[in-house]
Amino acid sequence: MEKKVGIVNRQAPHGRSDAREALDLTLALSAYNESLSVFFIGDGVYQLLKKHQADVILQKDFQPMLKMFDLYDVEQVYVCATSLQQRNISVEQLVIKTELLSTEEIKQRLAEQDQLMSF
Amino acid sequence: MSDSQVIKFSLLVTGNPASDQSAATALQFCEAALATGHHISGVFFYLDGVLTASHLIKPASDEVNLPDRWTALATQHNFPLEVCVSASLRRGIVNETEAKQLDLQQYNLKAPFVLSGLGQLAELSASCDRLIQF
Repeated sequence: MEKKVGIVNRQAPHGRSDAREALDLTLALSAYNESLSVFFIGDGVYQLLKKHQADVILQKDFQPMLKMFDLYDVEQVYVCATSLQQRNISVEQLVIKTELLSTEEIKQRLAEQDQLMSF
Repeated sequence: MSDSQVIKFSLLVTGNPASDQSAATALQFCEAALATGHHISGVFFYLDGVLTASHLIKPASDEVNLPDRWTALATQHNFPLEVCVSASLRRGIVNETEAKQLDLQQYNLKAPFVLSGLGQLAELSASCDRLIQF
């Protein structure tokens, strides 16, 4: 059976390249594995916040690539509701549709994965 | 150790060899796993981890040379050291083929590290019992 692989995004979108390269990795792995789950936790939720102006800080705007989750059949995209709440971000401010999960539910989903990669 | 107890590990190394402890810990993990009879399916270097593949890393003589240590271990135990090509080119890690294609005067990939795609990570992920990230 195909392994359940979870990719955990915990860092702000810019400042380090982790977010952007984790997204590259996610899209690449989706070609080989149909059981991917993607998590946005903590400062990772900022990756989903609309209206980045990455070019101003000489970075690539990778947000349009988030919209490719649909195209690549990455359907299990989870966001930590508590992390959003702590940062005063509403679902309407996010660039893609995701499933909101409580901390408990996130823990449960993480525990279901065979492998985790964390960025 | 019987075959049923042997664990097949794949490693994902994302730490910078010059500044992150995780890069050294990954090597120690590999050495320990092999010393206790386990199997390393392969190591995939990503993010700043790809810097480990540079032939030009030369720490002071009383410091550990991680690229040399990886090379020795991988050669002795015959497991692949895969390095993500796109993360590498961003960071100035280049092999001869890429150098020719991209019209670069130099290349610096250390053997037996090989440049490969993220598909190799997918393969290492699928073929192992445990994937460990450093």
